[in-house]
Amino acid sequence: MANENFEPKITCFVCNWCTYTGADLAGTSRLKQQPNARLIRVPCTGRIDPVFLIKAFETGADGVLVSGCHPADCHYNTGNYHARRRWIFFRELLNTVGIPESRVHFSWVSASEGKKWVDVVNGVIDKVRQEGPFEGYKKINNEFALPEEVEV
Amino acid sequence: MKIGVFICYCGENIGRTVDCAAVAQAAAKFPGVIHSEDYKYMCSDPGQNLIKQAIREKQLDAIVVGSCSPHMHEKTFRKAAAGAGINPYMVEIANLREHCSWIHDDIPSATKKAIELTRIAVEKVKYNEPLIPIRVPVTKRALVIGGGISGIQAALDIANAGFEVVLVEKEPSIGGHMSQLSETFPTLDCSQCILTPRMVEVYQHPKIKLLTYSEVENVEGFIGNFKVTIRKKARGVKEDLCTGCGLCVQKCPIRKVAKNEFEEGLANRPAMYVPFPQAVPNLPVIDRSVCTYYKSGKCQMCKKVCGRDAVDFEQQDSFVTEDIGSIIVATGYKLYTIDKKPENSPIQGYGEYGYGKYTDVINGLQFERIASASGPTSGEILRPSDSKVPKKVVFIQCVGSRDEAKGFTYCSKICCMYTAKHAMLYKHKVHDGEAYVFYMDIRAGGKMYEEFVRRAIEEDDVKYIRGRVSKIYEEDGKYIVKGEDTIAGMQVIIDADMVVLATAMVAQPEAPKLAQLLGVPYDKYGFLAEVHPKLRPVETSSGGIFLAGACHSPRDIPESVAMASAAAAKALVLFGSDMLEREPVIAKVNAGTCAGCFYCQKVCAYNAIEQKEIKNRAGEVIKVVAYVNEGLCQGCGTCNATCPSKSVELVGFKDEQIFNEICALY
Amino acid sequence: MEALQKIAKEALASKEAAFIIGYARVPGSQKTRPFIARDEAEAGQLVFDEYCQNNLAVYLTRIARPKEGKMGIVAKSCDVRAIVALLQENQIKRNEVYIIGVNCSGVVEDPAQPLSKENLAGKCNMCQAPQPAGTDTVVGEAKPYERADDKVGKLLAQLDSLSPQERFAFWEAEFEKCVKCYACRQACPLCYCEQCIADKSQPRWIESSASVRGNFAWNMIRAFHLAGRCIGCGECSRACPADIPLMLLNRKMGMIAMKEFNYRHGSNMDDPTLVGSYNNSDRNDFIM
Repeated sequence: MANENFEPKITCFVCNWCTYTGADLAGTSRLKQQPNARLIRVPCTGRIDPVFLIKAFETGADGVLVSGCHPADCHYNTGNYHARRRWIFFRELLNTVGIPESRVHFSWVSASEGKKWVDVVNGVIDKVRQEGPFEGYKKINNEFALPEEVEV
Repeated sequence: MKIGVFICYCGENIGRTVDCAAVAQAAAKFPGVIHSEDYKYMCSDPGQNLIKQAIREKQLDAIVVGSCSPHMHEKTFRKAAAGAGINPYMVEIANLREHCSWIHDDIPSATKKAIELTRIAVEKVKYNEPLIPIRVPVTKRALVIGGGISGIQAALDIANAGFEVVLVEKEPSIGGHMSQLSETFPTLDCSQCILTPRMVEVYQHPKIKLLTYSEVENVEGFIGNFKVTIRKKARGVKEDLCTGCGLCVQKCPIRKVAKNEFEEGLANRPAMYVPFPQAVPNLPVIDRSVCTYYKSGKCQMCKKVCGRDAVDFEQQDSFVTEDIGSIIVATGYKLYTIDKKPENSPIQGYGEYGYGKYTDVINGLQFERIASASGPTSGEILRPSDSKVPKKVVFIQCVGSRDEAKGFTYCSKICCMYTAKHAMLYKHKVHDGEAYVFYMDIRAGGKMYEEFVRRAIEEDDVKYIRGRVSKIYEEDGKYIVKGEDTIAGMQVIIDADMVVLATAMVAQPEAPKLAQLLGVPYDKYGFLAEVHPKLRPVETSSGGIFLAGACHSPRDIPESVAMASAAAAKALVLFGSDMLEREPVIAKVNAGTCAGCFYCQKVCAYNAIEQKEIKNRAGEVIKVVAYVNEGLCQGCGTCNATCPSKSVELVGFKDEQIFNEICALY
Repeated sequence: MEALQKIAKEALASKEAAFIIGYARVPGSQKTRPFIARDEAEAGQLVFDEYCQNNLAVYLTRIARPKEGKMGIVAKSCDVRAIVALLQENQIKRNEVYIIGVNCSGVVEDPAQPLSKENLAGKCNMCQAPQPAGTDTVVGEAKPYERADDKVGKLLAQLDSLSPQERFAFWEAEFEKCVKCYACRQACPLCYCEQCIADKSQPRWIESSASVRGNFAWNMIRAFHLAGRCIGCGECSRACPADIPLMLLNRKMGMIAMKEFNYRHGSNMDDPTLVGSYNNSDRNDFIM
């Protein structure tokens, strides 16, 4: 069950030109947000490799948000289209291994959509909070962090 | 690696919600950090000196600045780092203002987040490497898209500075909407009298290559190095042979089949036509949709009368490719047609005004033609239906503009002025006529603008009524205009002879397509977007592409001309250097591990990935690998993410850097 | 079998092919093994029957290229798809291979048992065309065979019906068994990278130890790297010493490729690949 006191950790991968700038605009407009998201800036959604998401879960993220320029608005023309095609497969793959849609989110947020960014971030945080801590990954993370006795 | 961390309070902007001293203290303990301090204004001179001093004294290899967004001051701090002798790319920014202090209230959680953001940046900078900006040559040649007054001005400015310009216009003649206007506010100069010399200057300028009846088909490349393909539509007339004598136009038997576009449909034109007498170039065009030859293969009258054998029925569209350094977009506007609701559009239209149904309910541009000395009535104010002098004319402002419910939220800006001008021109020509203007507000900001409107009201007795018109209908040969006078608080009914609607300025319908071709963002109305509304109003987010005139937003002639000159100046700034420095954020291939699947080549939007043969000592090809053309790579990193073996890496955003960032979290 | 040997001998004699990658009988057994015939005498050892499970296309990118002549290969229709995929991905050129297509009547799942409805390889259930197309020559005859239950499909449907937590637990149990021997990678004709991401240490995206977490990462990444590319030969599952049902993931990706893009990799060497192309109308409904 969802824990009232649970504060989810959300790792976000955002493109420099649209979403990062949109998040800047949210800041400039002093639009308040929950403090659970951490943004990692890349030039383009095209740069976002699915291994980033896996690594994010390995390092303890409870949810992941990937965001970039709207279709047709990509600063690099087509990076977001290639990214989208990648996600179509990857989100199904994650779902198949038990990493559900409720923990993996995608959005298009333009440089002018400061308000949308706030809504997206808060929405994702709320959804993951409801989902609770990612126990499955926490368990295998712990196993890795504390290996059982190692024979020398 | 010795790393220094510098936390900025940004006055109170960061300091109010983030405990900056605590962040600096926490950062001091991060592995690799040997220096950490906080300061009130890191971007100020003393702040920058603090950084420089620390770099020199502690021999720092890299620095992290916790401050505002990297979009704000990354360049500043890179410069400071360079000033202290380290490579400017050994700098990372933790965004503690826009992404932290400004969006949170709670000091403990904001401080915790700020520490994490700083840690991410520290972990990233560990894998930064010294980079040298890429230098690419600049093609000192401009492309101007659109031959209205904005495009003309931009082209002339650049050409007069001594650089070549390719001016592309989709219509058969340059001149744009300004060539259709009668007189211009607030001076009432004759529009064509001031425009035509400019058009001729463009035509005769040795540095300007004029391509009319042409459209941009494809754009490749990047700032300083665009390759633009232009489609020259088939005129049916050989440009090099035609002398513009006009005999073909006179003899064309298909006289009045097509609406004359230049006259806004108030007159007809033949199948073979020159858009208007002052057209530049003065070359006719065959309208293939109405010409008899294209229907039945017969007639050929134009061909028979042409002494130069310039008529070419078989002419096909042709393509030219131009090397271009900078592009100025000046595609202008269109008037909103308001008769019916456009398909697939939330716009409702103004069916109740009867535009398109009543011949004498016309729009602003149509009135310009009626008032123009070169227009269908030779400047006499005659209404279209029966060529009688209208004795009572109603002008309605804000048709489509400032109307969220039925039109657009924005103000079309020029209508207040041109409506005053229309009413004034009407009164000057029809002394006993009555002119009424329905308005919402009068927006007459501009030199001599307010005075101009006052003159219309006070000297020319134009009656201004504050209010909206609800309905127009025909009764006994009159147009009954039902409106409201919100100041008097009563209903107004006027039996008008003619109604002129100041319809909204809208973006060219093809603007989004062009914008996509150019990689320039546009708003929901199709107006192209500048990079910064205040400080970079003519630049777009695509380097080397600038905006001029009404393609950006509704604006009048002087504003368009000023913007065009500004865009030209931006292009000339670019042409001021032989080489262009570009961010060295580009992809690099590890030829040793590249398996040559070339998925990177498939995803590259810039054709920047080439195939390179790796040979052994005997000169035999042992494998073919990917190779990045540094001049073309724009640094999106899509190849990096696509490469299964990670043999392509994006410098500045390498896997190691991002890996470290992710691992630095939580 | 004689026809196959005859064609192989001719190809070697005429120097059309420098060698023939084919199957030979394991001495004293009905099983077969991959075998490279380099002369006419060796070509006499080539066999083809229902015990020839291997997808030999894997050797095309592993073997040293001959200085002269083509690489000959014996290929079932499923193997041909792997070869076409390699052509689509620039790994080989069509004029570098001499493909001897073999008509196939299904191969066994367990080589210790004779072919039957129960002992039919999973890929043969899914086979749409037992006659190979686009090869240089074709031998043998394809007899219709009885299809068995689609075990992978059934298991996948079962898995889909579970909760995410249960699915995670399922894979946790499966990946617990993984010893990171990379047999799946070795057996895969489309895993041809010179340096696999799993072997990359700077950075180490995939932990090298056989921890459950590292195994999750490895198997997810492998499935993703094969998304839109896997041709469904099932060699990874067959090679896995821990019997991890790897084909579940590959099949799922294949289903997405079919459902979203109507695409099957390795169908036509001139097809644009799914990865590396895009469409404005690609699915967008999952993006906020």
